[in-house]
Amino acid sequence: MSTKTKILELKNINKRFGTVQALKDVNFELTKGEIHGLLGENGAGKSTLMNILYGLYNKDQGQIILREKVIEINSPLDSIKNGIAMIHQSATLVSEFTAVENLVLGMQRSKLNLNFKEEKKEILKLQEEFGLKFPLDIKVKNLSAGLKKKIEIVRAIYRNSSILILDEPTTALIEEEFKQLLSSLKKMVSDGLTIIFITHKIKEVLQACDRATVLTDGIIQGTLNTKNANKEDLVNLMFKDQKIDINASAIPLIELPKTNKTKEPVLSIEELTTKSNKKDKINLVDLNMEIYGGEIFGIAGISGNGQKELAEVIIKPDNIVKGKIKLKDKVLNGLSTVEIFDLRVFYIPEDRKRESILGQGDIKDNILLGHQRESRFQKSNILRWDKVKEAAKETIDHYQVKTPDENKEIEKLSGGNIQRVVIGRALLNDLDLLVTHSPTAGLDISSVKFIFEKIIELRSKKTAILYLNEDLDELIEISDRIGVIYEGRLVEIYTREQFNKHKIGSKMIGG
Amino acid sequence: MTKSTEDIKQKRTLWQKIIDQLKPYLLALFIAFFISGIIIGLLGYNIFNAYQTMLFTTFYSRRGFIETLIKFIPLTFATYAFAVPFKIKFFNIGGLGQMLFGATMTAIVGIALAKYNLSSLILIFVLILVALFAGAFLALIAGALKAYYNINPIISTIMLNFIALYFVNFIATTAPWKEPFSGHPMTKKIPEAAILPKLFNQIHFGIIIVIISIFVIYFLMNKTVLGYEIKATGLNPTASSVYGIKMKNTLMVTFMLGGAMAGLGGGIEVMGVHLRLIEGFALTSGAQYGIFGVLTALLCQGNLLGVPVSAFFISILLVGADAMQRTLQVPVEVVFLTQAIIVLLIVIFRE
Repeated sequence: MSTKTKILELKNINKRFGTVQALKDVNFELTKGEIHGLLGENGAGKSTLMNILYGLYNKDQGQIILREKVIEINSPLDSIKNGIAMIHQSATLVSEFTAVENLVLGMQRSKLNLNFKEEKKEILKLQEEFGLKFPLDIKVKNLSAGLKKKIEIVRAIYRNSSILILDEPTTALIEEEFKQLLSSLKKMVSDGLTIIFITHKIKEVLQACDRATVLTDGIIQGTLNTKNANKEDLVNLMFKDQKIDINASAIPLIELPKTNKTKEPVLSIEELTTKSNKKDKINLVDLNMEIYGGEIFGIAGISGNGQKELAEVIIKPDNIVKGKIKLKDKVLNGLSTVEIFDLRVFYIPEDRKRESILGQGDIKDNILLGHQRESRFQKSNILRWDKVKEAAKETIDHYQVKTPDENKEIEKLSGGNIQRVVIGRALLNDLDLLVTHSPTAGLDISSVKFIFEKIIELRSKKTAILYLNEDLDELIEISDRIGVIYEGRLVEIYTREQFNKHKIGSKMIGG
Repeated sequence: MTKSTEDIKQKRTLWQKIIDQLKPYLLALFIAFFISGIIIGLLGYNIFNAYQTMLFTTFYSRRGFIETLIKFIPLTFATYAFAVPFKIKFFNIGGLGQMLFGATMTAIVGIALAKYNLSSLILIFVLILVALFAGAFLALIAGALKAYYNINPIISTIMLNFIALYFVNFIATTAPWKEPFSGHPMTKKIPEAAILPKLFNQIHFGIIIVIISIFVIYFLMNKTVLGYEIKATGLNPTASSVYGIKMKNTLMVTFMLGGAMAGLGGGIEVMGVHLRLIEGFALTSGAQYGIFGVLTALLCQGNLLGVPVSAFFISILLVGADAMQRTLQVPVEVVFLTQAIIVLLIVIFRE
């Protein structure tokens, strides 16, 4: 950063949603050729601010100054015209198109020739230059989240953007992919691009960014030069006016206390091989594992290597071609989900919005889901809503769900509060086995800590916990053992003493 | 704040809520009547008279009111046929076919049982079951096609409508069912014992059945495990499936429930109004109940408690439309036009 030209300035941005002041007098500066971290917890206003810059929201007040000129941005079209590109958490690509078709979309040189020879050459050159490899001629729907992210980044470059906003780009990526991406981003920056990097992970800011701005509750807390800053400085900024004990929430969040495991395994999987007729599903192959009561068994792996299939086959074992799943002495093969839940098993799926909740249902509806056939909630198929209401109220109390009452539509709650309801539902009954997939994804530190505590409490009650997660740091923190899954096979199991991030990481990518 | 003022405040917010809910409807009604008013005016009729007839014929005379109730009965059933599967976000356009099939089977079984001289109570009970199952069966075909072969129910139910339509024609024109000396295709009369009794010599017993059905549907959908599973499936099929609700079963049962309602509506028409199966019986004022069910259900956005309200409102308009044509020679189509505009506007305003 030899030349420090200001490329973008946001001045006194204000935004209000109903009664909530989402952004308050936000000032933000961007220097040409930097990677600028925008750090804050969930709901701090990071995405709101960037959505205003990108034209998805309209600001109530304030100015956007680009290259010393005040500009008006009313829609993404305006921002694109001004060379601002935004890459959202989930990919915005046409899934039926190939990478090339996606890149060229709206910019094709000829309306008749759909070979895209020229374009391909250009794209290959960009790939070469920045080290972002992805297949050009495969439909995007068949590609992994990591590859999609790369395609979107190259698309931004291809369209001559000068400012690139990355919204939590690492959500779907593993460590190795992130490192790769980082080196590509650094190359782009030295080539003149400026990047805003939205994240809630302090570590990523220190690794990736030149400067970082901290945002909490819609207010800018300050901007730091990350070269001479450390974690403490950022944590101090993030929790400036909160009473949270910084040391307690600094990594690691929790201590894993010593407990005794049960003598016999609760869940045992023997030689499990599955076959799915759905194309996008991975088949599990000769999978062996045992989980004991009072043990947290972590499953590490790159997203899409069979984690979801493993979780689902335990609660719905209907596509097994070989092998057995046993809960204590009972074989689960062929049972229905309801029957398995009756055996004191419950499941927390990965995708909160899509798989876990009834968005427009209220908290009562959501508490009942998966329990609706239990005798405590129904008598000869007539629901006992009074009991459901009771359970919902208890959950709200016990899990400190922030909501006016149990009749609130669940999708109106924040992610952390939704997850508290989901966990409350899972722990409504005493469990022998909990299968949970990334329960902390996208949550802020205090919610993550809360969830960890609940899971450890469960562990002390001798429940077996299968903990699937793509975030290796988190697994290392909370697991008693970690199994690495790769292309549907469990390739290695490590005990806590053997945990080594590098070793596990290389196993995850097939090393 | 004292308790009483708080009470008042709460009451006021409740009123506010109700008014907020009703706003799009009232606005839609107003604009729709305004537009059709222009059309009536352009056609050269007296707008004020036309509206008066359209909206108040029901309330002017006892006859008008009974007439409205008689239309209200099948229309409510046809509306449930759409509104119940709409809970899981599927369109059952087959209300018409299910209604026809329910009626046809009721007539067939009724005629077949004539020789056994069953008591009225038993015969009516049996025929109600027949009507329910017939409608459910036709809807089940569409549900199963969706569940097992992923065939869009819009397509399958429309196709099944044609099958049911021609099945009516077949039965009404073929021995031993057909009425030999009739000019119009129709079956023989069902036995005397199968005819629904009249309340106060005016309105047939179907009105009681429809009221019971309203309660049953409400109870089923709100207080039972099945109802909860249907609701959950509608809200989020993926999550419901993850948590053990059997998609295929729920889908088929929901369609059957809707179909059963339509079938019952058809059966009651046969047992209470026509006393036989008449080709084209499911028509009123030139429109089909089955198709009107879709419109009526959309009017209340598939809200099950709104179904009778919206069905009653449309019945008022239908009766008014007939009277308007009789007395003022204004074509009934004007009313259909108004109804279409209302629904369209409500959909727009609610977005």
